[in-house]
Amino acid sequence: MLRYIIRRMLGVPFLLLGVASVAFILSQSTKGDPLSALVPERMMNNPEIVNAVKAQWGLDQPLPVRYVVYMKNLVQGDMGTSFNTRRPIARDIADRLPATLELVAAAMIIGTTLGMGIGLLSARFRYSIFDNAARGFALLGSSVPIFWSGLIMLYIFSVQLKWTPGTGRLDARTTPPEGGTGFYTIDALLAGDWPLFVEAASHLALPAFVLGWSVIGIVARLVRSSLLDALGQDYVRTARAKGASERVVLINHALRNALIPVLTVLGFTFAYLITGAVLTEAIFSWPGIGSYAVAAARSLDYPAIGGVTIVGATAFLLANLATDIAYAWANPRIKVGG
Amino acid sequence: MNTAFSSNLRKQTLRSGMLLGTVSAMFFGTALAAQDTLVVGRSMDVNSLDPARAFCDTCQIYLTAVYEPLITLGADNQTLEPKLATSWSNNDDFTEFTFNLNPDAVFSDGSPVEASDVVWTFERLRNLKGSPSFLMDGTKSIEAIDAHTVKVTVDAPNSEFLNKVSAPYTGIVNAEAAMAGGAIGDETAATADGAEGWFLENSVGSGPFTLSKYAPEDELRLARNDSYYGPAPAFGEVVITQIQDSVSQAQALETGSIDIAMQIDADTAKSINNPDVTTSIVASFNFVYFAFMPGSEAMKDKLTPNVREALTLAVDYDGMLEFTVGGNGNKIAAPIPNGFPGTANLTPRSQDVEKSKAMLAEAGLGDGFEMEAVYPNDNVYGVDLNIMMQKLQQDFAQVGVEVKLKPVTYPVWREDMASGSADLTAVYYAPDYFGSGQYAAYFAMTPGSTWVKRAGYKSPETVVNEKEGEIYAAALAASGDQSVAKYEELAKEMMADNIIIPLVSPNLVLAYRSDITGVRYSACCNLPLAEIARK
Repeated sequence: MLRYIIRRMLGVPFLLLGVASVAFILSQSTKGDPLSALVPERMMNNPEIVNAVKAQWGLDQPLPVRYVVYMKNLVQGDMGTSFNTRRPIARDIADRLPATLELVAAAMIIGTTLGMGIGLLSARFRYSIFDNAARGFALLGSSVPIFWSGLIMLYIFSVQLKWTPGTGRLDARTTPPEGGTGFYTIDALLAGDWPLFVEAASHLALPAFVLGWSVIGIVARLVRSSLLDALGQDYVRTARAKGASERVVLINHALRNALIPVLTVLGFTFAYLITGAVLTEAIFSWPGIGSYAVAAARSLDYPAIGGVTIVGATAFLLANLATDIAYAWANPRIKVGG
Repeated sequence: MNTAFSSNLRKQTLRSGMLLGTVSAMFFGTALAAQDTLVVGRSMDVNSLDPARAFCDTCQIYLTAVYEPLITLGADNQTLEPKLATSWSNNDDFTEFTFNLNPDAVFSDGSPVEASDVVWTFERLRNLKGSPSFLMDGTKSIEAIDAHTVKVTVDAPNSEFLNKVSAPYTGIVNAEAAMAGGAIGDETAATADGAEGWFLENSVGSGPFTLSKYAPEDELRLARNDSYYGPAPAFGEVVITQIQDSVSQAQALETGSIDIAMQIDADTAKSINNPDVTTSIVASFNFVYFAFMPGSEAMKDKLTPNVREALTLAVDYDGMLEFTVGGNGNKIAAPIPNGFPGTANLTPRSQDVEKSKAMLAEAGLGDGFEMEAVYPNDNVYGVDLNIMMQKLQQDFAQVGVEVKLKPVTYPVWREDMASGSADLTAVYYAPDYFGSGQYAAYFAMTPGSTWVKRAGYKSPETVVNEKEGEIYAAALAASGDQSVAKYEELAKEMMADNIIIPLVSPNLVLAYRSDITGVRYSACCNLPLAEIARK
């Protein structure tokens, strides 16, 4: 297993360089004025300004030269400087990725816990009122667009009921913790700052639920159908015949087998949410990687597009690896690495 | 009483007291901090925090708070008032300007603001070739006469130079401190200056605030400048926090998460029914317009001056105001904002469909023709350009002209504008300073101007209006009423070009918590933070 993991990890940098190359070529081939983030529209008529900016950002060089420079810098760990923020991409990502990871992790915890619970109870009490209601709730989570559910929930729970605070990771009047993990909840706990933890957690709750609702839908439906499938298997009948309680049958026998397809989905859902939390981030003013990616794409910020692509690709590669390992854990008959 | 029980009770009481004390301290500490912090919510568009490179609405707010220009624009949005310069003068032909600096002015590090700082700042602004460098166009020399006197000489009469140096981008920088951070002011600045990153973390101005922390597209934190030589601002801290859209800003304002929301549109403002929130509507100097491109391949022989005039007569200007901003705005005649010099006596266009049809028939286009409109797929100043162009499409259809709408992303629009592929476009404009000259430089059909290149493309001669260059030069050589009269003449010429057709100047919604005072819209500086206080 360890050898397999090391072998997979060694291949990651080469895959990422390939992804970076494709991202660079595609973004440079996209129609649009690359100076739109660098030179205001009304200054485009001033050749002195345009030429100075082109020279400053290397845009006066031909594409192959730009590609070689980009890849050379990338190999040395330099992803370039963002056209939008005028800061090194690595720094932008380091600042924003923890916000997204914290949001996605919380959404996954909410989505997985509630999804599995609902799926399990739905399977146990299938066709009951609870099952129908739970399936309706799960269906809503999968089908209601986040831009709508986010705004509505913000209006209900924040504006009207005042149960949750407004947007952002913290109240704007609170100074964010410096350094640490970048996860405000964890940093607050590590610092022993209980009020800060409560504030960070309360800000996290609503966006995490909005994002996690779609995961609840996926997981609940998958767990329910997998469990119903497993409950019809011979080994379950055998367990029941041997006098095992329904709880033992459900948890110890059926659930472990039903988890395998769920694990596959969870790994990729996590990776998908990292790059796909854009709408939640926009509605809740969450300064994560999703909103950074959208701003980069809208303004043809090539270096930032490349940086975000590398982050997304890394997330998917690691999710793939984690899924394979989890597979082996859940089902000892599966061997990884061959 | 049982001793053990009594001891436990005492301990519990002590613990409870301590806890209560801690909670109280936390609560009141937080409450005091909240009182002393002003939170502004807006969609941030910061491109740089370097005064010589920055060029955006948020930049105007930041630069006004942290740096100070020589002159500023008064609350009436018309009168120039002293800032770092206590007085100024110019020669009769507006080629020499002398500024006398306030001897009490100091930078945030306590060092005095001197003429050498002004010279260095203006030279760097000119030499860096950054976005606001045009403000120093035509400067021949910038000299320090003594420690507190600066003389600027320009190569042609320019009565608007004083307005230009009221723009926040001309804020005076502490030269020594900036040079230590890698800034360069001489002729090599365009290629050798490496201070842009440094300015994202440091501020070296003389304004009432200093930069505390900047996280791109997240928040901009300012702290009160304790060395400020003028009246201390009311707030110890100002946070400009990123909130993308109008509805989210309104919700944040209602919950009290923010004190001021800057981009609430009129429709959303109507939905706010909260005694803790005050909304007021003021006229803005921003406008949206559409423009004909007679030089495009498809329009070469079609968009003649008469046809352009006919099409402008087809537009329902009153309906456009209703359709785009629900009546919360003003019609605008020429591509110079209402209230700027030369606009007082202008009459906005009006619709005359019959005359439009007759003129088109006379031009041999009675059966109509097709046009393609390429424009940014954006919502600016509360105007959705898609909705605006749909209305224009309907209006043109009445006279038989079919408009195909092609909304595109902003970078694509920029490329299309340079390639002459569009027949029609729509976009927006906000002032960089108070003065009509910037509109003449950008919109007038003078040879080589931005809009001559776009509208004329490969046939600029079809749109050039030589007279406009002469009138603009005359306006710059005059002052007072004479200058205003020249700008009015120029505005009428630009209206007669029928190339740039302004449609709506949307009102601005000032929305803030009711315990906040001093919120106003400034034509140069957007939102002057130092004037805001809590009641």
